[in-house]
Amino acid sequence: MSDRKVHEVDTDVAIIGGGTAGLNSAMAAAEAGCRVLIVDKANIVHSGAIAGGIDHFVAYLGTGPSWDTREAYLGYVGRVARGAADLDVHDAVYCDELDAALARTEKIGVSLRQPDGKIFRTQAMGQPGPYFINFDGKHLKPKMAMEVKRRKCEILNRVQVTNIYLHDGELAGFTGYDIRTGDFYRIRAKAVVIATGNTNRMFNAQIGNPFNLWYCPANTGDLHRAAFDAGVALANMEYVRMTIVPKGFSAPGFNAFFGMGARLVNSLREPFMKNYHEMADKAPRNFMVWGALQELKEGRGPIYMDCRHLKPKELEHLFFTLGIDKDTLPEFLLAKGYAKEEAMIEMTVSEPMQARPSELCGSGIRIDRHCASNVPGIYAAGDASDQMGCLHMAMAGGFAAGKHAAAYAKKIAHLRPLDTHAMAEEEARVFRPLERRSGITYREFENIVRIICTDHFGPVKTELSLTGALEKLDRLDTARDELKADNMHELMRAHEALNIHQVSKISARAALERRESRFHPYQYRADFPQTDDANYCGLMVIQKQPDGAVTTRLDKLKYAA
Amino acid sequence: MPAVIDPAKCNGCELCDLYCPVDVIHMEGKVAVVRYPDECWHCGACRLECARDAVTFEFSRAMLSV
Ligand SMILES: Cc1cc2nc3c(=O)[nH]c(=O)nc-3n(C[C@H](O)[C@H](O)[C@H](O)COP(=O)(O)OP(=O)(O)OC[C@H]3O[C@@H](n4cnc5c(N)ncnc54)[C@H](O)[C@@H]3O)c2cc1C
Ligand code: SF4
Ligand code: SF4
Repeated sequence: MSDRKVHEVDTDVAIIGGGTAGLNSAMAAAEAGCRVLIVDKANIVHSGAIAGGIDHFVAYLGTGPSWDTREAYLGYVGRVARGAADLDVHDAVYCDELDAALARTEKIGVSLRQPDGKIFRTQAMGQPGPYFINFDGKHLKPKMAMEVKRRKCEILNRVQVTNIYLHDGELAGFTGYDIRTGDFYRIRAKAVVIATGNTNRMFNAQIGNPFNLWYCPANTGDLHRAAFDAGVALANMEYVRMTIVPKGFSAPGFNAFFGMGARLVNSLREPFMKNYHEMADKAPRNFMVWGALQELKEGRGPIYMDCRHLKPKELEHLFFTLGIDKDTLPEFLLAKGYAKEEAMIEMTVSEPMQARPSELCGSGIRIDRHCASNVPGIYAAGDASDQMGCLHMAMAGGFAAGKHAAAYAKKIAHLRPLDTHAMAEEEARVFRPLERRSGITYREFENIVRIICTDHFGPVKTELSLTGALEKLDRLDTARDELKADNMHELMRAHEALNIHQVSKISARAALERRESRFHPYQYRADFPQTDDANYCGLMVIQKQPDGAVTTRLDKLKYAA
Repeated sequence: MPAVIDPAKCNGCELCDLYCPVDVIHMEGKVAVVRYPDECWHCGACRLECARDAVTFEFSRAMLSV
């Protein structure tokens, strides 16, 4: 027996993943009077997607114009995220919660206004009007962390959650371990909100470093995998998301560039987006990526972000905003030799990742109007859910999830038991890589997964490429029992690698079942290149049944004509 | 090299180690060390928290050259 410490913790509502969405869930559950425990593999002050800041908040504000209303917004979601966004859920988790989310942001000390006191809004990504509030969200994450502490939520930082457990088909609790000390946690909760973001490091990145990514490399689908194994249904998993990033550095900036009126040009200096979408550089993201990929493929690359026509004041605002979203991006651009004036910044298409096909939906745990999954007691929010994505949904929908989880927890009289045998098995499984003297490292294992995913569906796919991917990914199962870790950091990475591997199988399987293309190139089936609304306008739901069989079904979605 | 810590300026307050979202920085004695530089996400959280201006960024040759 080792001298490892084992902790048993009980709570009403547990939040797994204290990122943007999770902290809002925690605030709601605390407000409802529940005991709340937040568990994060990093430290909630700077963990997750907005660790270094954020700068755009999508909102309709009802200022008068017809585009600035709830109805116009939902119409926009239905047009742009057709087949992936469930409008009924959006109406409840975003629209009903938006006013409160905006007020909460300001109340915790993050102003949505410019220094002159005005709200500054820009338009991009197919929006019918300027829905993007530009704001300085550099300190949003630390301020939210302060707020959950003020609301007396308990916090377990640096605990990576490893598995979820049910009792008689309902949530019982979950396990995790401290990534520095190795302490093991068995946590019982009446309800959980899963808010662990999307899955990164699944595909090759532009200069070969799997951590030089647009999205947070700590989000590795750990709970997509754990929830799936516990029987939780997932949806929108077939989509791989990409964007347009500066060459050399996969950093965000898309909203800032296009919101300020920058244009993509090819190496003939021609703006090309008008050839791919009527809104040209203001088109939804997937069309921009599709256009860029075609230009690169057809030999008109490299591509550039042309900022030369922007006025000095606009350029100033642009560079400032770029640094809010990605702290180190402005200095990277300067180090690369791009002066603010006359800037023609070379861009490229980013790495793919498992995530939502549009800003207006999610990819992950299938949720209903109450943010509930199919398993009683398990709720989801933010990028980890199939309907929420981006800041606006994480803030508004995160809170909704916390509210509903709290309401559920209040109806449960007793915590359900965690099976002793399962706990011992999990503890042994979690630490086994540390005991192996030889074996495969997480770097090697993950790299194999990345090569398979990139070659077979990153992003173009066919029936043959997907069945081939699944065969290779299944064959890699034997290596799962050979992963070794020499220290705690490597142990965390080993588990991340194992989870990325399983998520890649789920994604490939869902993509195989969708025999059409949608959100090109995010689900681009070269063997079914057209969108087939008659048969596939809806969510591909994928689920593991109690006998271990993986099944899929299509939940059709309806939109106004 | 991504985040780079100047040991002469570091006072060992541990904040960068505590807050790095990717577990890249570890204390070694009284000094913070970027132990896994190739896993740095360049998010800037360490620099935001460092009251001693001990953190700077050096972008890799590949990032700047391609
Ligand atoms: C750099 C950047 C800039 C962006 N800019 C904008 C913008 O301007 N506007 C906009 O609308 N959207 C933007 N987005 C998107 C938006 O930030 C995200 O959609 C949103 O923050 C996601 O919130 P989340 O809570 O779902 O995930 P996250 O905030 O990423 O939180 C996930 C949390 O889960 C934790 N976690 C992961 N695995 C485990 C585990 N096994 N155990 C315990 N904890 C775990 C992580 O440490 C993390 O804290 C940006 C994204 C990035 C990366
Ligand atoms: S935050 Fe600065 S002073 Fe504190 S440990 Fe890190 S580098 Fe040193
Ligand atoms: S920039 Fe971010 S990822 Fe890199 S060391 Fe600093 S805190 Fe960690």
